[in-house]
Amino acid sequence: MNLRHVLTVCRKELSDGFRDRRALLSVLIGALISPLLMGVLFNRLAVEQRSSREISVPIIGRQYAPILVEWLEQQNGVETVEGPADPEDAVRTRKVEFVLIIAKDFPEKFRESRPAPIQIVADSTRQSGRAKLQRLRTLLTRFSAETGSLRLIARGISPGIASVLRMEDIEVSSAQQRAALIFNIFPMFLVLAAFMAGMQIATDSTAGERERGSLEPLLVTPVRRGELVAGKWAAAVVSAAVGITMSLFITSGITLSIPLEDLGFRVRFSAFDGLVLLAALFPMVLLGPAIQVYFASFAKSFKEAQSYMGLLILVPMLPGIMTAFVPLGNRPWMVPIPLLGQYSLATDIMSGRTPSVFSLLLAATSATALALFFVALTTRLFSKEKIIFGR
Amino acid sequence: MIRTEGLRKNCGEVPAVGGISFTAPDGAITGLLGPNGAGKTTSLRMIYGLMKPDAGRIEVDGVAVLENPQAAQSRMGVLPDVAGLYPRLTAREHIHYFGRLQGLSGDEVERRAEHWIDMLDMRSFADRRAAGFSHGERTRVALARALVHEPQNVLLDEPTNGLDVMSTRTIRDLIRRLKEEKRCVLFSSHVMQEVAALCDRIVVIAGGRIAADSTPEELLAVTGKTTLEDAFVALVGQAPAHFV
Repeated sequence: MNLRHVLTVCRKELSDGFRDRRALLSVLIGALISPLLMGVLFNRLAVEQRSSREISVPIIGRQYAPILVEWLEQQNGVETVEGPADPEDAVRTRKVEFVLIIAKDFPEKFRESRPAPIQIVADSTRQSGRAKLQRLRTLLTRFSAETGSLRLIARGISPGIASVLRMEDIEVSSAQQRAALIFNIFPMFLVLAAFMAGMQIATDSTAGERERGSLEPLLVTPVRRGELVAGKWAAAVVSAAVGITMSLFITSGITLSIPLEDLGFRVRFSAFDGLVLLAALFPMVLLGPAIQVYFASFAKSFKEAQSYMGLLILVPMLPGIMTAFVPLGNRPWMVPIPLLGQYSLATDIMSGRTPSVFSLLLAATSATALALFFVALTTRLFSKEKIIFGR
Repeated sequence: MIRTEGLRKNCGEVPAVGGISFTAPDGAITGLLGPNGAGKTTSLRMIYGLMKPDAGRIEVDGVAVLENPQAAQSRMGVLPDVAGLYPRLTAREHIHYFGRLQGLSGDEVERRAEHWIDMLDMRSFADRRAAGFSHGERTRVALARALVHEPQNVLLDEPTNGLDVMSTRTIRDLIRRLKEEKRCVLFSSHVMQEVAALCDRIVVIAGGRIAADSTPEELLAVTGKTTLEDAFVALVGQAPAHFV
């Protein structure tokens, strides 16, 4: 293998590729998907989290239960307002999220220490107000329990008798781990950026070369098939590397600008973690373009190749979606499997654990070997007369 | 010098070339003449090492193409029948790219590119991108990049096909010049006047076989015709449409 030939081919494909507006665009779009989606996702979460703590409770019949209203107003982030005239209609038409109705006989029942009737009008099919409604329910349950305890104490009875269970939620997942659940999608977007960025050069340098009829003169030069394919692959790899690095930097910038601490996420993602993440995912920068170059070489035209690329884009998404929604966990057996291994290491890094050098190397070796295997397959394709002359 | 012996090639079940042997000597222009589909392109493709013959032997300056394709290819400059360009590269960049692939150093590549830009009258479009090139401009670029390493053997597959008078003339001048430089020029054509005007030897191919291999004068004498066109028609007519 003459390295000079490989470099010459790689340099030509890169300068050719980066004069192509489509190639630049796909690098850019690939790099922007992640920061845009992550930004939107975190912003939404931030808004929801903040707004569920601050609730405004429309109350009808507040004059019947001044004790309850006063207690509610003492709670942090709660304000009460006058309820609408037609509560059901107001909820149905989404003017308000819920309405608390205090019945006329509340004072009488309350005084007699009998269950005092209140009503909550709400639409359970609505996603947006669910957190707020939950907060209101919790508050009312607490008021009920506290007042009940006081009544028992007044009668000389231990309030413990009325409480059969003492429930306590113990949150096991750390804030870091909860953040990681969202961050789990991030590595997938990075690999997606690499696939998007490598795609144009991979197709233009293979299917495009065949379509234009420039392959035949090229193969008559003393450059070997292996050198030619290696050069084209290398050019796509450079493009993919640019894409993934851009994506990482832009996403980091955007994520840092969102006050994740407010969300209860302790994000400890240092520059070092970023580098380790890049190192863990880098084998995909080798493998993605290798697969793309191979499949694009089958295509007689640029258009045909692009339809193959559309399908290949799904490859990095499949395990990504699975680990994000059905946590496969990180099993040791995943590490040597290309793609799964990279994602499993990335998940570790995103949740604040640095994987061992051995597992990084193991995952990188198997993915790189697979990439080289595809390069070898492509080299064999380029020796076939059907590929050279079949146009 | 190019020598072929008993070249055979089947394209699927159909025989495309059925035993072609000829020699194209140095310092001479050899024309491969034949009707469309006679096997000219297939023969050339085998000679420049991109198609494997089913049988036969090919030597370029004594280097066996089948055993040592890279060494043989570096002794050849080839203009294939389809010679596409890269639309986003300039004419000069095309020549540079192929020069480097031929193993020339940076300075050498620059020098040769300049030489060919002058030689093929490409100055006016040398630094323009190939996207809008005319057929004549494209052919010149393809020729320049094929000859950048100044190969001893030059193979041209229908080089003047579809060209205007000016471009055709440039290419004919080039071919004559290559002959003066004692190079071996082998080109295929189905245009009679061109072959008559240029060639020292004519190899007539019909139905995948050699129908004649001689000088233009001998060709007339053998067939007893007065024009090369009549001689050609007589020769092609004799050849079996297909062979077994």
